[in-house]
Amino acid sequence: MKTLEIKNIHAKIGEKEILKGLNLELEPGKVHAIMGPNGAGKSTLSKTIVGHYDVEVTEGDILYKNKSILEMEPEERALEGIFLSFQHPVEIPGVNNAYFLRTALNAKRKHEGKEELNAAEFLREMKKHLEMLGMKADMISRSLNEGFSGGEKKRNEILQMLILEPEIIILDEIDSGLDIDALRAVSEGINMMKDGKRSFLVITHYSRILDYIEPDYIHVLKEGRIIKTAGPELVAKLEEEGYESIIEEAQ
Amino acid sequence: MKLSELKNLTLTQTAALLDVDTHSMALERFKKLGLPSKKSEEYRYFHIEKLLEEEYQRLNYIPRPIQEAEKVVIVDGIVTHAPKGMRIYYEQYEAIDSEHFDPLYYLSHLLSPHVIRIDLDGDADIEIEHHYTQSNALIHYRIVLLNQTNRHATVFESFHEEEISNTLVLYGYDVLVAPDSTLRILKNQHMQGNRYAMVASHRIHLKERANAVIQSFDLGGDMGLQLIKIELERYAHIDAGHLLYLNEHAQRGTVSKIIHQGEHSISHQEAKNILDGDARGIFDALIKVEHAAKYTKAYQNSKAILLHEKAYMVAKPQLEIYIDELEASHGSTTGQLDEKQLFYLRSRGIEYMEARKMLVIAFANTLIEQVKDHRHQEIIKDSFEKTFYAAQETADS
Repeated sequence: MKTLEIKNIHAKIGEKEILKGLNLELEPGKVHAIMGPNGAGKSTLSKTIVGHYDVEVTEGDILYKNKSILEMEPEERALEGIFLSFQHPVEIPGVNNAYFLRTALNAKRKHEGKEELNAAEFLREMKKHLEMLGMKADMISRSLNEGFSGGEKKRNEILQMLILEPEIIILDEIDSGLDIDALRAVSEGINMMKDGKRSFLVITHYSRILDYIEPDYIHVLKEGRIIKTAGPELVAKLEEEGYESIIEEAQ
Repeated sequence: MKLSELKNLTLTQTAALLDVDTHSMALERFKKLGLPSKKSEEYRYFHIEKLLEEEYQRLNYIPRPIQEAEKVVIVDGIVTHAPKGMRIYYEQYEAIDSEHFDPLYYLSHLLSPHVIRIDLDGDADIEIEHHYTQSNALIHYRIVLLNQTNRHATVFESFHEEEISNTLVLYGYDVLVAPDSTLRILKNQHMQGNRYAMVASHRIHLKERANAVIQSFDLGGDMGLQLIKIELERYAHIDAGHLLYLNEHAQRGTVSKIIHQGEHSISHQEAKNILDGDARGIFDALIKVEHAAKYTKAYQNSKAILLHEKAYMVAKPQLEIYIDELEASHGSTTGQLDEKQLFYLRSRGIEYMEARKMLVIAFANTLIEQVKDHRHQEIIKDSFEKTFYAAQETADS
């Protein structure tokens, strides 16, 4: 059983084809790490899965629970359980963080046929997550991501993930801009979500994050295709030899 | 009467028609500036001629005994209620600005020789409700506001209309902000449909070290223009914020001139405009820094979001500077809702229309949340959301 199947996906941004027949299957309960040099198409892959407006899929399909998601709006994909932690979360002045989080959570609860939470119930629910992530309580009363440091933005992404409890979690460069403490807190939040059912797609440049979130599979992406898939032992090889030897091997 | 009839009259004929003294400064200024038309700089983007061509009934302005209430209530230009002990008078106003840029400032003074004078005693916090009950009428009145030195007063004004149509309201303030005092004036106007048009022409003069906060929240439909002249003496400070949310065929906005007369004076003017339907928004604002106003700081900014391809924003921020020793900036942007922000919200399961509403409200909130008094802030937020949601429902249906 696969949770997500990416089949021969070709996708372009503007006139440039970035993904050129990419195949990938995510298994339930597993952590898949996508690594690759700059420009390989890592972020485009995450954008394609969540239905970003920049990306046009020209060929192939993406199946989630055996159903194609390509025709689904971004919000439908989110409500079905696909979550992307953005590399650069946007700032939205004037949208209160708590209001945003409650709106998102209630949209999901409504979709699942559950009762919506009022403000007090929601705040109770949130408090425990804030403590765990080492987030100050005032962060939820501020405007969404406005004036947040890089670390605060990433923690806020993880807070959303904890609240929305998605089934597929895509982490795009979650470690970028994080100091050691923030990296530890963020990783702890991610590891908490591991329940043997959820699938993780960790997109990263560097192996540092994989010291904290242990991967089951490493996929190397080059020029829009997966050129190698292996176990976690590949990380050490990449650290030692870089991408060149893997690319040569694949050729 | 038709106001357009004043166009080709001589000074004597105008004086006779308006029943004023031929030697009055206001009359001379009005004749010099002329009846506004689309050729007038200040009215270039506002269809004033359409309003001046209408036939209006004139009302009788007979003062009534003022009843006690929590708020000041002005019905069709007559004060009917006021808080106990508040000093409100009708009086002939002698301090009319002799250099106002707006001819309708003078016309409204000529039509309303007895102004409503309100003395703001101490740290007053008053509400003024304007009510309009007459259709096809020309409603005109002027208010003079005076506060006290070293005091901090707030005036919150709101507008209410009955089932009226085709009325024109000419009103405005002459405000003298006392030295070392603070005066906040908040205007909350929301309107749907074709009830009344309004031209509000104000003059606000800040004495030395005076502070003023002028915030207008102008929401909804129909035609309305506020023309504001603000003068700043030494160390005076003004914060002016204007929120415009327009829908359908609305045509509303602000024309302003902020004049730095004294050194170390500060002005900060910000306009946020949200335009839907085929509405037209106007922000035509000049900051002038005179020779004596060394070390001035002047900032001006206008941002507009167009929610419909037919919506149109006229944004003209301008600086006129005669000295080198100052800090000044101005800018203007007009665009759509931010696609990245919209996508971010949608990627969390918030549907497109809801995400769009959240962003529009967020844009407005950045100005609304600058209102100091939390109670006023909530009233304005509520007005905005009601007007916005009502317009969205109309558009959706």
